[in-house]
Amino acid sequence: MTRQDKKDVHSVTPEVIIDFLKKTIPFNELDEECLMKVAQNCTIDFFPKGTMIFKQDETEVEYLYIIQKGGVKIYLKDEEGMVTLKDFRGEGSYIGALPIIQGTKANLNVETVEDTFCFLLKKEIFLELIEDNPKFAQYYLKSFTEKFLRTAYQELRQHRVAPRTEGTLYMFSVHVGDLVKGEPKTISATDSIQLAAQKMAEYHIGSLLVTDEKGDVIGIVTDKDLRTKVVAQGRSVAEPVANIMASPVETISSHKVCFDALLTMMTKQIHHLAVEKQGKIVGVITSHDIMVLQGSSPLYLFREIVSQRTIEGLYPLSKKVPLIVRTLIEEGAKPNNITRMITILNDHILDRLLSLMIDKYGAPPVPFCWLLMGSEGRKEQTFRTDQDNAIIYQDPENSRKKEEAREYFSQFGKEAIEHLVKCGYPPCPGNIMASNPKWCQPYSVWQSYFDEWILKPEPEEVLNATIFFDFRPGFGSLDLGIKLRDHLTDLAKRQEIFLLHLAKDCLASRPPLTFFRNFIVEKDGEHKNRLDIKKRGLVPFVDFARLMALKFGIKETNTVERLGLLYEGEHISKELYTETVEAYEFQMQIRFVHQLEMMENGQQPDNYINPSDLTDLEKQTLKEAFGVISKLQSIIRDMFPMM
Amino acid sequence: MGVLDFFRLFNRRVHPVLEENRRYFEDFDQEKPLSEYEFVVYDSELTGLNPRKDEIVSLGAVRIKDLKIIPQENFYCFVKPRRPLPKDSTLIHRITPEQIENAPPIEEVLEDFVRFCNGCLIVGHYVDLDMAFINKVTKRYLGGPLSNPCIDTLRLAQLYKEETWGNYYDQFNYNVSFNLTDLAKEYGLPEFKEHDALGDAFQTAYLFLYLVRKLKKGGITTLKELYLAGRSWRWLF
Repeated sequence: MTRQDKKDVHSVTPEVIIDFLKKTIPFNELDEECLMKVAQNCTIDFFPKGTMIFKQDETEVEYLYIIQKGGVKIYLKDEEGMVTLKDFRGEGSYIGALPIIQGTKANLNVETVEDTFCFLLKKEIFLELIEDNPKFAQYYLKSFTEKFLRTAYQELRQHRVAPRTEGTLYMFSVHVGDLVKGEPKTISATDSIQLAAQKMAEYHIGSLLVTDEKGDVIGIVTDKDLRTKVVAQGRSVAEPVANIMASPVETISSHKVCFDALLTMMTKQIHHLAVEKQGKIVGVITSHDIMVLQGSSPLYLFREIVSQRTIEGLYPLSKKVPLIVRTLIEEGAKPNNITRMITILNDHILDRLLSLMIDKYGAPPVPFCWLLMGSEGRKEQTFRTDQDNAIIYQDPENSRKKEEAREYFSQFGKEAIEHLVKCGYPPCPGNIMASNPKWCQPYSVWQSYFDEWILKPEPEEVLNATIFFDFRPGFGSLDLGIKLRDHLTDLAKRQEIFLLHLAKDCLASRPPLTFFRNFIVEKDGEHKNRLDIKKRGLVPFVDFARLMALKFGIKETNTVERLGLLYEGEHISKELYTETVEAYEFQMQIRFVHQLEMMENGQQPDNYINPSDLTDLEKQTLKEAFGVISKLQSIIRDMFPMM
Repeated sequence: MGVLDFFRLFNRRVHPVLEENRRYFEDFDQEKPLSEYEFVVYDSELTGLNPRKDEIVSLGAVRIKDLKIIPQENFYCFVKPRRPLPKDSTLIHRITPEQIENAPPIEEVLEDFVRFCNGCLIVGHYVDLDMAFINKVTKRYLGGPLSNPCIDTLRLAQLYKEETWGNYYDQFNYNVSFNLTDLAKEYGLPEFKEHDALGDAFQTAYLFLYLVRKLKKGGITTLKELYLAGRSWRWLF
C-alpha cells in the first residue's frame, strides 16, 4: 500500500475495492480515475444467509450491489404467491442495476443464500458511469436483453403446444445441410447408363450427379429416369448417361430450412435436390429425407428400424437419433431416460443388423452373445458414442467345431463392425470391438480374462479393463453374457486387492472445484479454458458406482440404477443417493445440451464445456455437483482405509 | 528526553483534542440502535507485546457508519519508534528498519489519530493490547488516556462460538483458535494481508460486521444489547 502525503490525514486508497473491481466485469473496462471514483464512493455491507436485500415492488434501490463474497438468489412471486426462481448471482455479479437505470423500485426479490459481503456503490455514481462509459453501459444493457430473452424462451417452451406439431416445427428449424448424408455420388456424362445403374445399386441410392470432363456438376440421373427413359423406351444401356439426365440440376442452399426444400420440390415436381454450400455441391437430398423428418418421434424411428428388410436400409437410421433427442430434451425428459431411449434405439438397430446378417450367412455353428461395453454397456450413450463391443460364444465340443466357430465369428465380427461404422457408429480407437480376435472368444477364454483381471490384478491392466466390467449382453444367447456376469460378480466382491486398485483410481483425480470464477479447466491445447465434463465431472460418478457395485455384488451396469440398488441395499444413505443422482443427471443434461448445440452448428460433438457459456445458476449447480465428488471420494477413503 | 516530554513535565494540561474526545462520551447513551453509532476499527503493529517497553510501529484504522464499512475513511501510517526495531518483530510484521526510517515519530501523528477516533467506539481484535499501547502515548503526549468505549471482536467471537456450539463439552476444546486470520477462514470472510495494520483493521471490521449480524441470530439491535451479550458471557466464568 502506498503512503500518501501527510496532509491527506494518513488516509490511503481502499485497495480492497480497487483490486476486486479490476478483476470484475465490466469494471475492468474502467480507467484508473473512474475506478478511484468508484472506490471512493463504495461502502461495504454484510448480509447473513437468508437476508432479503430487495423486496419486489417495495425496496427503493439506492445502491448497485456488487457481490464480493457469497451469493444471492433472485426470484419472482406472482399474485397467487407462486415463486419462480429466476437466477443465482455469485461473486463478482451485481444486483440492482435494472431498477436504478429504469428508476423503479426493486423488480424482483433478492435473498442471500450464503453469508454475503457486498460493495454498495451509490446509484448516482453508477448512473454517471453508465453515462460516461459506453462500454460499461453496454454490458448491462446486453445482460438485460440476454436475461430477458432467456426467460422469454423458457416461457415459450412452457407454453408450447402439443407435441403433435413438432414435425412441422422441424421443417422450419432443420437446415437442408443437416440432412446431407455424405459426399455426393457422381458419374461422368460419358459413362454408360448401365454403369450408372450399377453404381446406384452398389451405393443403394436413387440418384447420381452427372459431371462433365472438368468435374463440374451438369445434371442428375435418378432411378425414375432409368424406369421412364430407358426401360420403358427400350433405350440401349450402353448409351451415355448424358442422354437421359435432367439438366441443369436443381439446387438449394445448405442453410435453407427443410420447408423451403419441400416447397421447391413440390413446385418443380421433383424428388431430388442438390445441396449447395459456397458454390459447391455437397450432397443430394430427397423428398423422402424430408418426409422422415415429419415423424421425429421415437416411435416412428422405432417402426422404421424394425421394418427394415436390408442391412443398407439401416445405415441412415442412427443419424436420426439426435432429432429425437432434441424433442425429448425440450419436453424436459431426464437425461437418464434420454440415454436409455438412445440405447434402446441403438439396440434395435444392432438387433436388426445382426438378425439380417444371420439370415444372410446362416446360423452360427454354436450359440453366441454380442456384448456391449463401456457407455453402451451402461446404457448411457449420447450422440455418436464410439463402438465398444465383443463376441462371446459357447465353447465348441471338439477342435473341428472350434475351428469352424473361430472362422465364422471372426468373419461375422468383422463385417458387423463395418456395417456399424456405416451406420454412423465410429470405431473404437482402442480397438475393443468384435472384429478384434482378442475380443471374439469362447466363454472359457472370456472367463479366464476376467479371472486374470480380478485375481492377479496389474494396476495398468485393471484400469484399461474397467469398461469390460460394464458389459451387458446385447444380442443373441443372452444367457452366455449373464453367466459371465454372474461369475465375475461372485468373484470380484471378495477380491480386496482388485477393488483397491479401482478405489485408488477413483481417488486419483481431484474434483474440479469450485469457485465461481475459477473452474479447473484445461490449461492449454485445443480445449484451453474449457472443462472436460466427461473426464472431470461424470467419470468419477461412473467409477464410484462401478466400484461399489462390484464390491456389493450388484449386477446392474447403468450408473443411476447401480446407485439405486446401492441405496436399496442400504450401502449408501438416501441423502447421498439423491444428491449423487441429481448431480450426475444435471451434468449429463449440460453435456447433452452442449453436444446438441455443437451438432446443430455442424460440429463434431465433444465434452468440452466453456464455463463462461453457463449461467450463474448453472455454474452454481455445477459447483454443487462437483462438491458431491469430494463426498464420494471421502466415502471411498473410509471404505478402503489403507490408502 | 525530548522537547515534548519536557513540555509535559511542566504543563500537565490536557490537549484540546483529548478534551474533545472526553466530551463525546461524558453523557453516553447506550440505548440507541447500533447503526446510529460510529465505530473505528483499529489495529496496530508493535515491536513486541510489552506495553511498558515496546512501541507502536504502524497504525491502521477504518470507520464503520450505519453498520457499513466506509473504506475510504481510513487511517494508515508507519511511525518511527524511539528505539531501533528488534529483529524478531520484523519477522512478524515484515516492517523493516528502512521502511520506518523516514516515518514520523508517534507524537506527530497522534493528534490526527485521536481526531479520527473522536466520537467513535473503538473496535479491535484483542483490543486491550492495542489500547494499552495507544493510551501509553496519549498519556505521555496529550495528557491522558482515550475515553472511547471499546469493543473486542475476540470476545464477540468467543461468545458466538459458545452460542453456535451450545455444546457443553466443546467449551473445553483447547484447539480452537481465536486468531484473526483463522477466524476469517472459519467464517469464510474475504481475507486480507496479515500483520499489516490496515489489512488487519479491515479484517477486523469484516469480522465485526459478521459477528454483530450473526450473534443471537441477528437479534442484537442496540449497543446495550451487545454489551449485555458480552457480559452474560463473562458471568459464566
